[in-house]
Amino acid sequence: MEILRTENIVKYFGDFKALDGVSISVNKGDVTLIIGPNGSGKSTLINVITGFLKADEGKVYFENKDITNKEPSELYHHGIVRTFQTPQPLKEMTVLENLLIGEINPGERPLNALFYKKWIPKEEEMVEKAFKILEFLKLSHLYDRKAGELSGGQMKLVEIGRALMTNPKMIVMDEPIAGVAPGLAHDIFNHVLELKEKGITFLIVEHRLDIVLRYIDHLYVMFNGQIIAEGRGEEEIKKVLSDPKVVEIYIGE
Amino acid sequence: MIIEIISLILLWFGIYYIVSLSLNMEFGYAGIPNFGKALSVLVGAIAVGGILDRLLILYFGVGGDFITGTTYATSMLNDLIASNPIVGIGILILAIILASILGFIVGAIFILPSAKLKEDYLGVTLLAISEAVFLICMYNLNIIGGYYGISTPDILAFVPGEYRGWAFTGIVLFIAFLVYLFFERLLNTPFGRVLRAMRENEDTVKAFGRDIMMLRIKTMAIGSAIGAIAGALYSLYTVNIIANAFTRVEWTFFPFLMVLLGGKGNNKGVALGVLCYVVVKVLLDVYKYNLKYTLNIPFEPVWLSYMLFGVLMLLILYYKPSGLIPEKPIITPPMKKKIMEISNK
Repeated sequence: MEILRTENIVKYFGDFKALDGVSISVNKGDVTLIIGPNGSGKSTLINVITGFLKADEGKVYFENKDITNKEPSELYHHGIVRTFQTPQPLKEMTVLENLLIGEINPGERPLNALFYKKWIPKEEEMVEKAFKILEFLKLSHLYDRKAGELSGGQMKLVEIGRALMTNPKMIVMDEPIAGVAPGLAHDIFNHVLELKEKGITFLIVEHRLDIVLRYIDHLYVMFNGQIIAEGRGEEEIKKVLSDPKVVEIYIGE
Repeated sequence: MIIEIISLILLWFGIYYIVSLSLNMEFGYAGIPNFGKALSVLVGAIAVGGILDRLLILYFGVGGDFITGTTYATSMLNDLIASNPIVGIGILILAIILASILGFIVGAIFILPSAKLKEDYLGVTLLAISEAVFLICMYNLNIIGGYYGISTPDILAFVPGEYRGWAFTGIVLFIAFLVYLFFERLLNTPFGRVLRAMRENEDTVKAFGRDIMMLRIKTMAIGSAIGAIAGALYSLYTVNIIANAFTRVEWTFFPFLMVLLGGKGNNKGVALGVLCYVVVKVLLDVYKYNLKYTLNIPFEPVWLSYMLFGVLMLLILYYKPSGLIPEKPIITPPMKKKIMEISNK
């Protein structure tokens, strides 16, 4: 079943056409991967999907609702969360605080904040959940460390943890394992698989096909702002990867 | 003499602590570079001089121009207060309410340009707006009397002259303490957490469902309401308002220094920062001429406190950017409970 669909997305940066009619379809519960050389428009595409960039043309549908050009803060309430290409930890805040930002507490309204009973129950629930997630990600021992002191890989895990706080329907990840040691990279994708079992959909942009290939259900290849190949399931993905066009792009790199 | 200096130090500590606490929420927690902090203090003066004084003129039916009118109206009120202290306290409470409402509204509007501006431009814009309002209040005598000045009620007209200073200091310290409790309660919560998160990374906060603009508006509305209370107290203390007193140096730059010196994001640290700076500032003010003649300073000694400001600011930013008492993580009661549980295992 389809959860996300884009139709003919076009995005210009000045005169440069970064996205040239991109249509993709993401199935619920799949791990969908977008690959392509630098500058092919992958990050631009997911920035448009997650509302960080506005599309010049085209539509984005999530669960058949039109979400084109909505604000990121609004998409969160539809169940879409994302991680960034360069980790964006809240550096001066602890790992635990970083996770707690993943969920909205009524105590974030100043008037509620003054009254304990308005927000303490939710806070208790969130703290429990945060520690469960930290345990799942094997980060429990780091809960009181400042996020700015973590390694790059740990930061990425914290970002995934934060995304999990929300019970999202779909997690969009921009290069989740770029700059991460292979061991930790496999860990991250094993977590992705476990979460997939729980019904979460993933849309991922990633360069390092060697590591990622075994975890994915659906593959798109982008080049010059267009989708040039697509395959779903092991057989089709293999076919895509032996497609001379695709090989040329990748070897060309 | 010593007693008077101590009273003066405590009074300035109280007033500046209120301003700095509000700036600490805006800048220390939320990361909003509010270089227009002075505006909120000026708004407090407008609430007292521009609104309360006008109400008094209406109430006592005083004719003539606004500036002379305030003199008559306030002296009539002072007679009333001298025989009935309740009136004085009532006027204080009314002034605080007026100031905080006006501050709240002005703060919410003041931050709207930030919708389209990044941090550094925002700071400059807020400074410019604040300066523009300051200059208008200075040269338009109909708002708060401008450079000419107007009278304000003496809410302590019932207190004998020699005790007035101490009594007012007591009131200011009490209100400053309440403001401290208010901010501790307000900020050691998910609200404080999301403000810090906004300071650290706006994109993340946006991606997780928060409306940044709304958060900024709330922060600035509350911060300006509190800043305006300080402005109102100051105007009532001096029993007159002269627009010249609300400069950016006194009410924006000094509070910034106090916050940075004490430790941004830490309300207790800010208290220490305010105290350190106020002690030095008051002593410099009191002994500036002694200093000038003993040390043969070849310029007007009023510049000493500005020079001290510059030197201290550079030293802090260079050697101790997190201040005397650095920020601590926000630990809410449920977090504390869970952390205890874990450490007991």
